[in-house]
Amino acid sequence: MTLRALKSFDRRDLHKALKQGSFTLQLGPFSHLISGSSPALLDFLQDTYRDYSVEMSPSDVTEVLLNIRAPNLFRRFIRPQIMPDPGFDVPAVPLPKRMAPLAYEMGMNLSIALKCCRFVNIHAGVVADDHGAILMSAASGSGKSTLTAAMMQHGYRLFSDEFALLGLDEPLVHPYPRPISLKQETIPIVRELVGADWLSKTVSGTPKGDIAYYRARPEDLARAHVPAPVKLILFPKFETGANPFAQRLNPAEAIIRLVPASTNYSLLGEEAYKTLASLVENASAFELTYGTTEQSIDLVKQLTASH
Amino acid sequence: MDTLKQIVGLSALPAAVMDQIKLLNSADANHVLGQMASRLKHEADGNLKDIFNNALLRAKRDHTMLTFEMNRVERALSEAGVIPVILKGGAYVARNMAAAAGRRVSDLDILVAFEELEKVEEALLAAGWEPEETTDNEYDQDYYRQHMHELPPLRHAKRGTVLDVHHALLPRTSRFSVDVSKMMDAALQLPDHKLKTFSEIDIFIHSAVHGFADGALDVPIRTLVELFLIYNHLSGEDIDEIVSRATDLGAAVPVGMALWAVGRVFGVERASASSGELIKPYRYLIFKWAVLSKTRNDISAPFAKTFLYVRSHYLRMPFYLLFPHLIKKAIAWRPNSKTPSELPFP
Repeated sequence: MTLRALKSFDRRDLHKALKQGSFTLQLGPFSHLISGSSPALLDFLQDTYRDYSVEMSPSDVTEVLLNIRAPNLFRRFIRPQIMPDPGFDVPAVPLPKRMAPLAYEMGMNLSIALKCCRFVNIHAGVVADDHGAILMSAASGSGKSTLTAAMMQHGYRLFSDEFALLGLDEPLVHPYPRPISLKQETIPIVRELVGADWLSKTVSGTPKGDIAYYRARPEDLARAHVPAPVKLILFPKFETGANPFAQRLNPAEAIIRLVPASTNYSLLGEEAYKTLASLVENASAFELTYGTTEQSIDLVKQLTASH
Repeated sequence: MDTLKQIVGLSALPAAVMDQIKLLNSADANHVLGQMASRLKHEADGNLKDIFNNALLRAKRDHTMLTFEMNRVERALSEAGVIPVILKGGAYVARNMAAAAGRRVSDLDILVAFEELEKVEEALLAAGWEPEETTDNEYDQDYYRQHMHELPPLRHAKRGTVLDVHHALLPRTSRFSVDVSKMMDAALQLPDHKLKTFSEIDIFIHSAVHGFADGALDVPIRTLVELFLIYNHLSGEDIDEIVSRATDLGAAVPVGMALWAVGRVFGVERASASSGELIKPYRYLIFKWAVLSKTRNDISAPFAKTFLYVRSHYLRMPFYLLFPHLIKKAIAWRPNSKTPSELPFP
């Protein structure tokens, strides 16, 4: 079996592979074995993952195993529910079956966040051009996903909107361009920005409100195996009506802010510290305050021009 | 039993990729992926190398935590003039044994003399350990203190790490009785530390007692892999001595069973021979079936599990204690309610 774009497989083959648990997704530094026979999941994968490299049975062992399944036999048939099962206990709530895309994306995130310690994982958006990568770390609701999507319209390729994966032995960030998860009011903003064709169907009424996914572009996926050095670390802060402003942070401040954004810093300990130390040494860090997406883009452009 | 041989590197990995994935998944679910990784990492490439690397990094963090905790316990107890014996995972790591390589560790177990128990508990409470929340109720606290071989678990208030303080290897009410004082007398001090561990032969015996005279063999694959790794690295003299030592300590039956399992599962003939000297080959047949069935997780595994569960309680306490205990626990039982914690992503 060889890797091919998902869209080149027909639905029956995809369904069969997902049902028997041999569907394999290769992305960035990870390969994933996925099972789950929900039609909602199949629809989502066929739409949002159409350009991703997959195979119908694995040609090598896989690091991530994810099963999207009913929480119990009862919930398989009566008011069906679905939940991600990455092979270890995760704090995931069962969801109605139609929310399979959310269960799938959550499961993927939990697998990486809680199991992977080959990289220092930082919850951040990452984009890159030929000069290097820009790491944007922020809490939910600060406009990180909108900023990531906007940067992609300005010549940057997507590395990830969830995880900055920093190598332990070399200070490079590894691409992991999964679809960008958009919440509530960011959905129309990003739709306006990138065009409706690029967004998945909206999954409404989830515990996190309405959710839609902006899929990675073929050019993001083509170079998903090429890591890059980080040149800028940004901490975006959206404030309604704020004057755009970039506040430079010294390396110590940058580390202090990156540590709580990491899902495995305390697990890796010294090695994670060394990785972050070399990261901030070779990059400039800023806190960005802005009131509109345009302002944030302008700020980043000014910073990239001067750094 | 090929799975276990493959995990410790005695058999080659299966040829089909799907079978390899199942093997790795089972090793991970049974907490022996790290041990497997440490033994096979030099032959691995591609994704397998990444998976092994990940497992070893995770175990490394556990070992760092454990080494730090040992240091804290040493500091807390040396003022009280007590030199504890580090048990199980802690001992493997402290002695840098083959069984430590890649092993996950979640808590620290120590052993002190019964007469020192009060002093030790006082010193640990003063140094920041607290009764662990799930057993911090009157019934459990009393039960542990009256009938068990350890204090109710302690959790460090700041670091959240769990410490089990034992004064024996088996519950006071157990049907087996192992002479722990002889093992403590033979314990060896760790160089430059006020800490001890059992001698390597006694470490094997303790692991056998823990696996086969206490509990329901809850993690059979891990237990068997661990016994194999310890046995495999015993010196020739220790292996010659194991039968007499086990008999001397009153651990002939559990050690005989452990040696039987190591011989049967990993094909170690010497272990089978020693087992024959400790227990008669035609005895404990149902128990032997149950061990293999639960390890294979085959079609009869539910029966094997039930048998081992009942056996563990039969061994652990007499019926006049067991019935009130189970009734009490049944009344207190509540289904787990899972409240999702806040995570930084959707």
